[in-house]
Amino acid sequence: MSEATMTSAPVARATNAAPSKPVTPMSERKPFPLRTVAGMMVLLVLIALPLLAGGYWTFTLGLCFANAIAILSVSFLVRYGGEVSIGHGVFVAAGAYTVALMEKYLGVSVLAALPFAAVAGALLGIAFAYPSRNLSGIYLAVATMALALALPELLLYFSSITGGYEGLYVKRDALPGISRDLQRYYVPLAGLVVVALLLRQFRRSRQALALLLIRTSAPAAESFGVRRSWARLSCMALSAGIAAIGGALLAFSSSTVSPNSFTLWTSIFLLVGSVVSLYSLGMFGSLIGGIFLTLMPLLLAGAGDWVPILYGGALLLVVLGANLMPESWRARLGGGRA
Amino acid sequence: MADILGLIWAGMVSGCLYALGALGIVLIYKSSNVVNFAHGNLAGLAAFLVFGFTAGILGNMAWGAALMVTLAIMFAVMAVSYFVIAPLVFKSDLTSTIATLGIGLIAQGITQLVFGSNVVSLDLPLPKWSAQIGSMRISAYDVAVLFVTAASVGLLYLLIERTRVGIAFRAVSANPFASRVCGLSLRRIHLFSFVVAGLLGLVAALLIVPTTFLSSTSVSSFMLQAFAAAVVGGFSSLPGAVVGGVFIGVLMNLLSFYVAAEFTNTYLLAVILLTLNVFPKGVLARRGGARV
Repeated sequence: MSEATMTSAPVARATNAAPSKPVTPMSERKPFPLRTVAGMMVLLVLIALPLLAGGYWTFTLGLCFANAIAILSVSFLVRYGGEVSIGHGVFVAAGAYTVALMEKYLGVSVLAALPFAAVAGALLGIAFAYPSRNLSGIYLAVATMALALALPELLLYFSSITGGYEGLYVKRDALPGISRDLQRYYVPLAGLVVVALLLRQFRRSRQALALLLIRTSAPAAESFGVRRSWARLSCMALSAGIAAIGGALLAFSSSTVSPNSFTLWTSIFLLVGSVVSLYSLGMFGSLIGGIFLTLMPLLLAGAGDWVPILYGGALLLVVLGANLMPESWRARLGGGRA
Repeated sequence: MADILGLIWAGMVSGCLYALGALGIVLIYKSSNVVNFAHGNLAGLAAFLVFGFTAGILGNMAWGAALMVTLAIMFAVMAVSYFVIAPLVFKSDLTSTIATLGIGLIAQGITQLVFGSNVVSLDLPLPKWSAQIGSMRISAYDVAVLFVTAASVGLLYLLIERTRVGIAFRAVSANPFASRVCGLSLRRIHLFSFVVAGLLGLVAALLIVPTTFLSSTSVSSFMLQAFAAAVVGGFSSLPGAVVGGVFIGVLMNLLSFYVAAEFTNTYLLAVILLTLNVFPKGVLARRGGARV
């Protein structure tokens, strides 16, 4: 609900920890009712939309919501960890395959599988982050790139379980009694709202403060007893868990998972979406990224080869544009928020 | 066990190419702290340009002429891509690294747009010659790769150790601030490293083509191996890049022969994680503590 979380280049602040003007924490500021009202209105429009629009649009928007959650996870890592990942498609895949496999072998629906997907993603995040816990920015980026490239190989090798190239289907209804089209719209929407609200709560927690302290100055944080490797592990676990939730809902609303949808490009596109949303941790910022990622290729139907150029151009425009913004704007947009 | 010499030999040949790719990445990183994720895509674009100029898509030239035109184009492309990210370079390493991903996406898109996503084959003008020594099969291609790599590395060494611009490059990579105080233009050094990296990438991309086929993604996936080589060698060491390249080439060949061939990228992931865990700054990097 908070467009206030939109920020320019927080990565810039990650590496050069220049002291900025002290800003009143959000929690002490008076809530801005107009913004909350506007947020509720947009949410109501989104809830009412399927009554007006056809099945195609509800389907596509469902994908947008799921992608927005995945984008939130990338932004989370950038905001709280000061790290860039080009391997988040792997954690998204972990969530998606958990849902698909649990349906195939245990016959449970996405709602029952969702917590397991989140845990599976978080565990994978820890398993990956542990060997790389002492790595700084670029090393982690290269390692995540290798992770993204290794995933399709592993998925294809275990094809007896993962369904190989064909992938798996996710057919089971989450909520009985509601038409399938509407479920594929409302479940990801609810997921996005919940994740955004949880992130908003998280901002006020001790854990969030510890992560932000580590990001600003690791030696200072260590002298307060916050270990850097521990911060990296927890940050990666949370981010991967969110990515896995996004993946689970993505599998549900697209009703299929296959190695083709989790290549290196998936991960790079997620980063593009995160940059386009200006690393927002709010619902609408991430939704802008998700809509950009999902709808742009569809709007430019038949423009297959233009998609990388479009994404690359958007990436450059946003990154350079944010850089051109006057420092005062950036400070205001960045605020005291993570 | 009889094949092992042959495997090592073939691994060294492909390792030379990884080394050339890694050298380009390291050159850029050393001077500007930017990890150029567009390196593979730009090199792939360059290889496609040579293909286009010789195969009649963009023109019908002799090999040498096509190479010269492509060199000139690559010169311009690398200069443009540097100037695109130049405003970010001094602000944040990670932001400028993200920007290189954007450049890579655009390069990939242009390659697909102009040349399609089909696989093409590009023949290098090499004599058909080969010899057998024990289990080692040495072909003209292998000799050409070794020769070209040695020549490129030698030229790069001379360029960096013996010329004024090389001294400036070393000064900037050792201490950018002091270099600027002394009146060096950091931007010019960055541009120098981008252009040289682009030319190294072109050479590497052209030499890879005979072993795989040329497709709009083949060169960029090859670049993961160059990244792994750079990581193994320590991201900021030029000799490390060469050592890492040859090491990765040999290791990948042995693993895919003795273990399983379909896990190339998984091996690279394991090698990267393992190296960074044991040698956090790479095998050949200078050790040093952080000052608080």
